[in-house]
Amino acid sequence: MIGGIRRVLAVAGNTFLEAVRQKVFAVLFLFGLVMVGGANYFTEFSYQEQFKFLKDLGYASIGLTGLLIGLLGAAQLIPGEIERRTILTALCRPLRRWEFIWGKYLGLLFLLFVMVGIMSAAVWGVLHWKEGQLIASEGGDPAVAGLIRAEARDPRMLQAVLLVWVKLAVVAALAVFFSTIATSTTFVVAMTLMVYLIGHLQSVAREQWLESGEASRWLVKSFLVLVSLLIPDFNLYNLIDEIVAGNAVHWKATLEVTGYSVVYVFILLGAATLAFEGRDI
Amino acid sequence: MTPAVRTQGLRKEFALGWFRGRLLAVEGLDMEVRKGEVFGLLGPNGSGKSTAMKMILGLLRPTGGRAEVCGYRAGTISARRQIGFLPENPYFPNFLSGIELVRYYGRLSGMGGRKLETRIAELMELVRLGGEAGKRPLRTYSKGMLQRAGLAGALVGDPEVLMLDEPTAGVDPAGSREIRDLILELKERGKTVIFSSHLLEQVEDVADRVIVLHRGKKLREGRLEDLLSKKNEWQIRMQGLDERGVQLLGESAPRERLEDYFLRSLPEESRK
Amino acid sequence: MGFAGSALLLLLVWGGVKVPWERKMTESQRKNIYGLPGPTAVALREKVGQGLALATLGGFRGLAANALMLEAHVAWEDQQWVRVRSALEFATLLQPRVVVFWDMASWHLAWNAAVSAEQYSGESNETRRRMEARRWVEAGRDLLERGTKAVPEKSLLFQRLGDLYWQRMGDYTSAARCYREALTKGDAPPYLERFVGYALDKAGDKKGALDYFRELRAKMGAVPDPLRKPEVVDREIRRLEKEIQSPGQMEKTR
Repeated sequence: MIGGIRRVLAVAGNTFLEAVRQKVFAVLFLFGLVMVGGANYFTEFSYQEQFKFLKDLGYASIGLTGLLIGLLGAAQLIPGEIERRTILTALCRPLRRWEFIWGKYLGLLFLLFVMVGIMSAAVWGVLHWKEGQLIASEGGDPAVAGLIRAEARDPRMLQAVLLVWVKLAVVAALAVFFSTIATSTTFVVAMTLMVYLIGHLQSVAREQWLESGEASRWLVKSFLVLVSLLIPDFNLYNLIDEIVAGNAVHWKATLEVTGYSVVYVFILLGAATLAFEGRDI
Repeated sequence: MTPAVRTQGLRKEFALGWFRGRLLAVEGLDMEVRKGEVFGLLGPNGSGKSTAMKMILGLLRPTGGRAEVCGYRAGTISARRQIGFLPENPYFPNFLSGIELVRYYGRLSGMGGRKLETRIAELMELVRLGGEAGKRPLRTYSKGMLQRAGLAGALVGDPEVLMLDEPTAGVDPAGSREIRDLILELKERGKTVIFSSHLLEQVEDVADRVIVLHRGKKLREGRLEDLLSKKNEWQIRMQGLDERGVQLLGESAPRERLEDYFLRSLPEESRK
Repeated sequence: MGFAGSALLLLLVWGGVKVPWERKMTESQRKNIYGLPGPTAVALREKVGQGLALATLGGFRGLAANALMLEAHVAWEDQQWVRVRSALEFATLLQPRVVVFWDMASWHLAWNAAVSAEQYSGESNETRRRMEARRWVEAGRDLLERGTKAVPEKSLLFQRLGDLYWQRMGDYTSAARCYREALTKGDAPPYLERFVGYALDKAGDKKGALDYFRELRAKMGAVPDPLRKPEVVDREIRRLEKEIQSPGQMEKTR
């Protein structure tokens, strides 16, 4: 068991190290520039709007950067390693295939964690700076200053960050799953992106299936059923939009979505392990 | 004594995709490699050498037959503990240094701590990458250095059997000489070495025994000495030879060039 | 069954488990967020206006809506009111839960666009200019009405709607109704509670205003929160009492 954990950690560490040495973090500088640029761009708007713009910009950039990294990272995972044949020298060792998959995934997850963490800290910093700027310019009234401060230091942002991260965790698990059945990097990226997009429509298909009274044609119906069963519901993460809009979101709802994501990740990696177990390298 | 590697009726078919049929890569391969032996898998490109090796390693699932490593079924963790592998034209994670590569492979084999570090130092010396060379990133390595680093990585778990797929492909003569010397050194340390090659002249002075594969089937098997001796030819006794003459006739039988032997072994239709 | 088959089976079995779970979560999210119970999702989507294309914007809907707000801002600077309106309509359609969007949008239409129409030099007929301005005010009101339905749990949009009725349409009764509605939301600013009385007074319902202020003062109790300004309420009560007793004085300022 200890040997197994050690091997999983070795793969995870190597995956993370690879990302660091391939200078993946350079993307973060671009992100920083976007944030700071954004902070100075919308100054003619009300402070509520400025904060909304900044938060949207922040979460969207975190989401987009994470999506790219999760996608490309996972795509490199198996098809990339097969193309480069580095996988041969790993899998011929006393290393179980599930250990390899989990190691790769955990490495990726940790990478996403660090990146989301750094980017959230940057967003927080920019909001903080904006807070100072706005209070100086229009916060003569202590009540207004209080409102500005409340916007800038909204504790619900922590919930939003958590949701962004677990959403990325599911996307990365999807990409890992596809990479165990794929033969090319392009296939993984295309499939994952497709599922990501359809995932935002899954609830529509699900409701059409479960709640539309009229009997659909069986072809349409089986399509709706397949989409509902096989694709995750990414609209559940729209709680992030609510938080940015400044509306109340219970921790309970956030944690339930987190739980859903964790179970989903386990299922996807289980399926990935099964698919990978039978695969010729 | 359990053989280092044994295969029985080993067979592999690849599905080529929808409506494109199947490719028979290895067919009914029986072979036995004794412990401590240097064993060559010979054959042209596409003859099934790599496929056979990958089945022994557990990277490919055989369609039929079985393979064993030191008595364990191929592909099991116990079997894989016994093998180190260096693939053909290996690419390593080139963001690592030589030492980091070996350390990574050591950890993948479940090793760690001081024991691993001592082993790494020892191996880097063995493959002549000690000192500064081991600390450089792999992307700065020459082909021969990469091959030696890979060899150290294959050896880190102290396996009984070492499998090398085309170890000298693309390496310059000096580099391939070094690899040959390493194989002999490993043999002296009691390791079993199985290697594949399509460059026949490189095999001649290292392999104890070889098998020759062609289109997935075994053509010949035996000691190189036996295979290459022209047993049906006459020998002439002479007297009053000078020293050079004695040397020339010193061997018991005249030897054929391996290349000629190989071509002669091929079925009629593929010789053209 | 091969390994790939088992993988697919696992995913399908999980699908059977997850669908009811997703459904339950979606419902409870909607309930908490929109205050609407039950599986009315399809109908709700039409109501809120999130069509298929909008859903595909996925995690980046906020950015799109912000871009539209920027577009509206630029169009406003160019005084291109039709562009302002369509950008605002679309932004609020994309993110109906963002209060500031509705607030900003109705202000642009009912104030900026309307004033600009009133002063438009290309139209010499004053009646026509007024009618045009009125149309913009009504557009702003309609937008705010929709906003109060999209974010029914917050007071701000009801307050703004009241302001609009008061300041742009002279409909003080409706203004009073909106302020009352705003006060039920819990997050209304303390000064707003007096506005109901002022609006009733403006509407000519002195009696109603007096009753309202008296009731308000009674609710403040013996030791009122100074933020609720009991002295102002007392003053209003005295003034209204006086005005009701001597109707001749009615038109004096409040």
